[in-house]
Amino acid sequence: MGDILKIEGLNFRYPESPRNAVSDFELSIPEGEIAVLAGPSGCGKSTLLRTVNGLIPHMYGGEYSGDVIVAGSSVKGSSMRDLAQTVGFLFQNPENQIFMFTVERDVAFGLENLGVPREEMRSRVDEALRLLRIGDLAQRAPHELSDGQKQRVALAGVLAMRPKLVILDEPTSLLDPKTASELVTLVARLREELGTTFVVVEHRLDLLVGVADRLVVMDGGRKVLEGSPRDVLFGDDAEAHGVAIPAVTRVQKALTESKGGRAVAGGLLTPSELASAVEGRRR
Amino acid sequence: MMWLSGGFIFRKGYSFYHRLDPRAKLLNSALMFVTTLLARSIFEMVLVVAFMVGLSAAATVLKRVARTMAFTALFSGFIFVVNVLFTRDLETSVLYATRFVAIVVSTSIFFITTSPDELEQVMKMFRLPRDVVFAFVTAVRFIPVMMLDTIQIMDAQKSRGLELEKGNLVRRVRNMIPILIPLVVNSVVRSGELAEAMEARAYGAAPKPTSLLEYRARRVDIGVACASVVLFALAAYSFYFVIPVQFP
Ligand SMILES: Nc1ncnc2c1ncn2[C@@H]1O[C@H](COP(=O)(O)OP(=O)(O)O)[C@@H](O)[C@H]1O
Ligand SMILES: [Mg+2]
Repeated sequence: MGDILKIEGLNFRYPESPRNAVSDFELSIPEGEIAVLAGPSGCGKSTLLRTVNGLIPHMYGGEYSGDVIVAGSSVKGSSMRDLAQTVGFLFQNPENQIFMFTVERDVAFGLENLGVPREEMRSRVDEALRLLRIGDLAQRAPHELSDGQKQRVALAGVLAMRPKLVILDEPTSLLDPKTASELVTLVARLREELGTTFVVVEHRLDLLVGVADRLVVMDGGRKVLEGSPRDVLFGDDAEAHGVAIPAVTRVQKALTESKGGRAVAGGLLTPSELASAVEGRRR
Repeated sequence: MMWLSGGFIFRKGYSFYHRLDPRAKLLNSALMFVTTLLARSIFEMVLVVAFMVGLSAAATVLKRVARTMAFTALFSGFIFVVNVLFTRDLETSVLYATRFVAIVVSTSIFFITTSPDELEQVMKMFRLPRDVVFAFVTAVRFIPVMMLDTIQIMDAQKSRGLELEKGNLVRRVRNMIPILIPLVVNSVVRSGELAEAMEARAYGAAPKPTSLLEYRARRVDIGVACASVVLFALAAYSFYFVIPVQFP
């Protein structure tokens, strides 16, 4: 399988901004991966996502150089119409991406815009509702939904367009811990069932390390670290770039330091890994 | 205010009238509207109002229509007084005052029983530009969101010591500024985010967007439409030829 996303030498500066929001960026994401993008606020994560779905450069002015290639076509050269069908974008605030009066109408919104015939639209909407297990909400009005439900509705609207790549910008920032971890489980399941590639901007790494294949850390518009979550989080630089190291990893690091590296077998990221490591030592 | 304006805001309902094709409801309300203009005596007006009250009861919205009537009573009282002063004719004044109430009721029956989805459909039917229809859709969609925003901002500002209910009128109006500014800022941010989300969902991509919902007139809808035309013709005929005109 090839790369669904390739960013090559990308630089972008917003109009009237003194410095680049994204600088010399290189990134390749193979199809079917879940990649996590982390970094301090204002480091350019959302900007990078906008260059992937074409809002930059199609909607924003500014200085743009380099190339972003999604599913083999350059974003610069593609229309928003085509991009909307390959790249799904789940924005931070689900409230502001639900347009219609009922859930099912909203899930259909993108398809209506594309002029998809009614019968096909019906089946794709039902499929998206089923995938997200929100069929019972179909006739609800947006203001009758909880934040977690709104998030699912927005994601259903994105998935109904059958994108190959879905990008999520801080999807859990408005969710309580339980709903947030449900969303992560959902993303993992969708990747299994549909083979969709996900790029997720997320601060709460402890939620995602269990399912992510790749962790990219940004700082000041540049990519500063990249690798498997294990390699990045156990490396020496992660903390320096303000990455929130998961508690399990911190525990293991502390144990390793105090007991001269014998404490627990290497590279623990999730509580269940820690649990089985500890169990293993007891026996 | 909320209590009164409730007479124009749709709430889910399941009566036969709610379920009618929006076009049939629009036609019916339009004809009732015209009938109120045709009524030339209090007796005729009472007939029209009685019909609308009966219809509201059948559509299970009588309570809310009554609220609309209570709301308009104030204006209609004003119309009555002005008319009495100028025409010095009690009957004409009563007629005008009730006509005002009747007009409002005829439109309110439409808005109370027609969902925003159906309103959108009606707007499309009149071939309004897609952007206009969509602006209407988002405006209605965000009414509850903005109301919640307002309440939250008011609470936040009150907890910082803003006193909304104090002082004279000028002071009270000035007190609204700390509420309005965050509200406006919120809306600006919101519309920016909405614009991005619209692009990401291919808004404006197809020259002919399709719709998930289909409004196909059923027999009932056509039946109701015909019935309202017949009733209208009957009313118009009897107002002019059967019921004698009583006032000058
Ligand atoms: N629409 C915009 N116009 C101008 N500057 C912007 C705009 N959006 C973001 N920026 C700037 O670009 C930089 C990166 O922002 P952003 O991509 O939103 O960061 P993040 O998502 O990582 O918090 C910031 O310095 C921010 O102020
Ligand atoms: Mg951001």
